[in-house]
Amino acid sequence: MPEKPIQGEKKVFVTGNEVVAWAALAAEAEIMYGYPITPQNEIMHYWTRTIPKFGRRFLQTEDELSAGFTTVGGVLAGRRAFTATAGPGNILMQEPLSMAEAMRVPIVAVVEQRGGPSTATVIYSQQEVTLTTLGGNGEGLRVVYSTATHQDLFDYTIKAFNTAWKYRFPTFVLADGYQAKMRESVVFYDPAERGIKMVPTEAYVGRPGMPGVDRPPMHMRNTYNMEEELYEVLQEYLADYAKAAPEIEEHEAFDTADADLVVISHGVVSRACKMAVQELRQQGYKVGYFRPITLRPMPEKALREVAATAKQFLVVESAQGQLARLLKEAMYGGTAEMLTLFKPGVGVTSEEVVARVKEIKG
Amino acid sequence: MVIGSRIVEAYVGEYASGKSEVAVNRALELAAAGRLVTLVDLDVVEPCYTLRPIKRELEQKGISVLAWETRELIGLGETGNILRAENRWALRRPGDIILDIGYGVEGAKTLALLEDADTDPDLQVYAVINIARPMTGSVADIVQYVLQLGGIDGLINNSHLGDDTDLAIVQEGSRVVSEAARELDIPVVAVTAVTELAELIGPVDSAGHPVRKLVRYMPRTLW
Repeated sequence: MPEKPIQGEKKVFVTGNEVVAWAALAAEAEIMYGYPITPQNEIMHYWTRTIPKFGRRFLQTEDELSAGFTTVGGVLAGRRAFTATAGPGNILMQEPLSMAEAMRVPIVAVVEQRGGPSTATVIYSQQEVTLTTLGGNGEGLRVVYSTATHQDLFDYTIKAFNTAWKYRFPTFVLADGYQAKMRESVVFYDPAERGIKMVPTEAYVGRPGMPGVDRPPMHMRNTYNMEEELYEVLQEYLADYAKAAPEIEEHEAFDTADADLVVISHGVVSRACKMAVQELRQQGYKVGYFRPITLRPMPEKALREVAATAKQFLVVESAQGQLARLLKEAMYGGTAEMLTLFKPGVGVTSEEVVARVKEIKG
Repeated sequence: MVIGSRIVEAYVGEYASGKSEVAVNRALELAAAGRLVTLVDLDVVEPCYTLRPIKRELEQKGISVLAWETRELIGLGETGNILRAENRWALRRPGDIILDIGYGVEGAKTLALLEDADTDPDLQVYAVINIARPMTGSVADIVQYVLQLGGIDGLINNSHLGDDTDLAIVQEGSRVVSEAARELDIPVVAVTAVTELAELIGPVDSAGHPVRKLVRYMPRTLW
């Protein structure tokens, strides 16, 4: 039995991509499937560098379609499997991910957002929010965690495996090129020592016994003959998703109770927004901070509570309103004014957020 | 180790170990002592991200910097890069030469592309080690890593946690790196730390290794 990759706790200095590889090791992931694309390549690099010691596996496929489908295959065989991608790779992966939604296959995919549309930049954006939350030709029956820090990346990569296997919906860890390449300190830990129990995996196919005699046959479908058959299955899935959503939803907020204006952001941008809100508070501005951690399902109840008292929202993102669109849906009917600071494909600084709030507040 | 009148040092090591920071500071230290210094950026994978953004600033401080200019580059690292012609002949320049060689074990092979790299009598190759990097976190890992690099003349303890660096990580680094150096039978050339911490340690650490003060230039580059 190979030793545990992480024993006890250790503070390390790493890039975000390394964090993902080590978190997957700590989460007892057994195999990664992948195809190279910047800025996620080092997830594959560090996974393949470390796994010989820990008896895990890796398969590089010929493209992201195959990477997605082989991840589905790995999970069907009962393996705790994951993949990672970005940008155009994320687009290609939507087909296998739709299949995972259709079959309720708990795959985990890490997305390091790069600029878009198309190849755009290899560097950074928050432009894969729409694609990651609602991509595929279905109803977006998936979970998306948006991380802001390296500690988040470690914590939520581990959590993603448990969410996926508990609820049986494809689960994403959404980060970006800045986080992928950025270095900061983070505490690596063995989940077991923090009381985190990994949800056991099980094989979907090749189970013991004669199908139809010893056990019901395993009939996994992503194709239906009749509209009504599909409708019936989807009703069941949608009900499961609605039931699971309140258990999955997560957010972070402060200073919202008496705030006239609440700054809403996600991922790495929320770090700038947090600094800006703290600075503005010190200067006497009644501002609050809200960050959805799950972008799908959106923490609707918490958002509506904030919307009930705040007069204005300032949505800040490195995209042209992809988060704002999700927020509008979640808060439909609310009366708070929605103001924006959109910088598609580039980073946002705390100074820019402070300036925008002062521009609004005069 | 005998240092002649000419100092020629190559800094290699694990991705994000702090090679560039150590190399930049070393070049500036030598220049401040009135020496003629050339700093050479040999990161051929991501040449856009290392010394390029601070090239002008370093030149103003009196060192020659051999690195690409933005306008000379045709794409990011993944589109492929060529060794800059002037860098290939860097070892034939007069004065001290500090080579900053990016990208771990694969990157270290770039050194072989330099003219005279195999015959230069003064060339010393130093591996920069940060024990907070998981791949070089223990004595065994460091020994294995340095053997993979091959041809290393000495180790530098550059253990740190970015903005969260404290004396404890530097001292623990010294302990671990010293032990690895003993196993490898090579010297610990220096301990590097930001000025505030370096002053706490003094001119030499508890094991007698010289302490070099670091001014952080790299946060102003992309990575």
